[in-house]
Amino acid sequence: MSEITRERLFGFRHAFDDPVTVVLTLTALALFLLAPVLILVATRAANSTSDKRKELWDRYRSWIWLALFILVPVLAGAFWTILAVATLSFLCYREYARITGLFRERTISLIVVIGILFIAFAALDNWYRLFVALFPLTVALIAIGGLIPDQPKGYIQRVGLGVLGFALFGSALGNLGYMANDWNYRPILLLIVFAVELNDIFAYICGHLFGHRKFVPNTSPNKTVGGAFGAIALTTPLVAVGAHFIWSGTALDTPVRLLGLGIIVSIVGQFGDLMLSSIKRDLGLKDTSKLIPGHGGILDRFDSLILVAPAVFHYVNYFVGFAVGQPQQIFSGWQI
Amino acid sequence: MEPWNLQPAHDTGLTPSERFRSVRRESGLLESLAHQVCFSLLRSYFAIGHRLTIVGREKLPPHGPFVLAANHCSHLDALALGAALTPRHRERAFPIAAGDVFFHTRVTSTFSAIMLNALPMWRKNCGPHALADLRRKLQEERAIFIIFPEGGRSRNGSMMPFKHGLGMLVAETNVPVVPCGLGGTFEALPPERNIPRPVAITLAIGDPLQFPSTANDRTGWSQIAKSVESRVRDLVGQSRTA
Repeated sequence: MSEITRERLFGFRHAFDDPVTVVLTLTALALFLLAPVLILVATRAANSTSDKRKELWDRYRSWIWLALFILVPVLAGAFWTILAVATLSFLCYREYARITGLFRERTISLIVVIGILFIAFAALDNWYRLFVALFPLTVALIAIGGLIPDQPKGYIQRVGLGVLGFALFGSALGNLGYMANDWNYRPILLLIVFAVELNDIFAYICGHLFGHRKFVPNTSPNKTVGGAFGAIALTTPLVAVGAHFIWSGTALDTPVRLLGLGIIVSIVGQFGDLMLSSIKRDLGLKDTSKLIPGHGGILDRFDSLILVAPAVFHYVNYFVGFAVGQPQQIFSGWQI
Repeated sequence: MEPWNLQPAHDTGLTPSERFRSVRRESGLLESLAHQVCFSLLRSYFAIGHRLTIVGREKLPPHGPFVLAANHCSHLDALALGAALTPRHRERAFPIAAGDVFFHTRVTSTFSAIMLNALPMWRKNCGPHALADLRRKLQEERAIFIIFPEGGRSRNGSMMPFKHGLGMLVAETNVPVVPCGLGGTFEALPPERNIPRPVAITLAIGDPLQFPSTANDRTGWSQIAKSVESRVRDLVGQSRTA
């Protein structure tokens, strides 16, 4: 393993090399210091009930853990980042499998889990060809695995659910992990996660302020057209400015392309949210689990990120590319 | 083509600690792996440490639902019965354990649920709804329950009369009750000891009994308790002379 690769994988000394990483980390810290004051003021002003106050504090405490789960691995190194993304993929798949009942199909679940492990390995190894080959190969394996019980009844359902599960939580989320092969992955990942979470908050606030017309009342009755456009208007410049500093002087660094990236993050993020709302509504559920106090499940919290990951990856890959100049097949490239 | 039939896990909506203590719990991939590893280790332990002999294993039904009902005089009993099951059975096997002992704290309930796949029975405030939940789980999930109808461990090794709970699970159903007699577990780990002695243990398995026409009421439950108790007493005698 070359020195450059070792530094990228484990070199926490480079954590704050990029100013965007510093700004985003400090902003997150500032928000966490400010939030208790805001909660105290808001709950006293609104004369909130004790249940409401408890819910807000639960949310705040959970956010601290979530922020640590995101920030610590990203700052510590690419190895830990890829490990954290794989953990997120497993947790999201677990919740999806339990709410759809797919977890009872042991063979298919095992194939999806193995597929996620291989995706993590391909990301860690910086082996792009394996990374892109894993989606069709795992789909083929799921289609074969669905035959094992020798029960044609329910075949389309179990295979369909397995393919959707791997596509969303293995393949799509795996793009986040693969981004860690870029030397400057820290600000990229932090910007995406930060923007996606803020996008949700912007949509919520704008929806309350300007939301009159329902957006998709059958899928998510609280979403409004005003909220959706407000989020696009606020998230797009935020992403564009951050991306300008990250990809300064590259082919992506033009106003139109930077704004294009911002619009993709905002729109696709909102569609990710609606996708999970649709899945939950189809199943008649409010939350995917009760793992995170005040939030619901892991999927409830990270739903917006699922579709953004591949969209941003391929948009940036088209103009600039990821992991340019980084050694490939770090582990598998050793000649026998 | 029939419409899709999506059935979320029965424990959806419970917090992790509620889930471990719930009879609605359904195991996932990792938990199933943990049960398999745990039961395999137990099997090796009983084979080496207690020279476990199983008489009549062929009488076990090939798949669930069924209930293993045995005498209870040691903490080793449920583990010995679990070790006797085949890998195919283990996936759906649930030892019914005392809630106040095995599910009292978060640590014990996590261990009991993840490693042993145990379900809690709260002895002090066990209402009919708890047994109704178990009865439903037994049939709907084709489960295998390991239960001790005496309602607690015998302190002197002799069997106590069976309680009605078993009857409430199987009356008016075709779910087989497999009577089992355990010998040697009391000598290996009596209530006052913490570390087992390497004493030989024998498990005698009897012919399955079914109670489809026994009324699901107090009289029927009593009949079932007496019938199974008498078979278990014979098997305990058999296991001690084996």
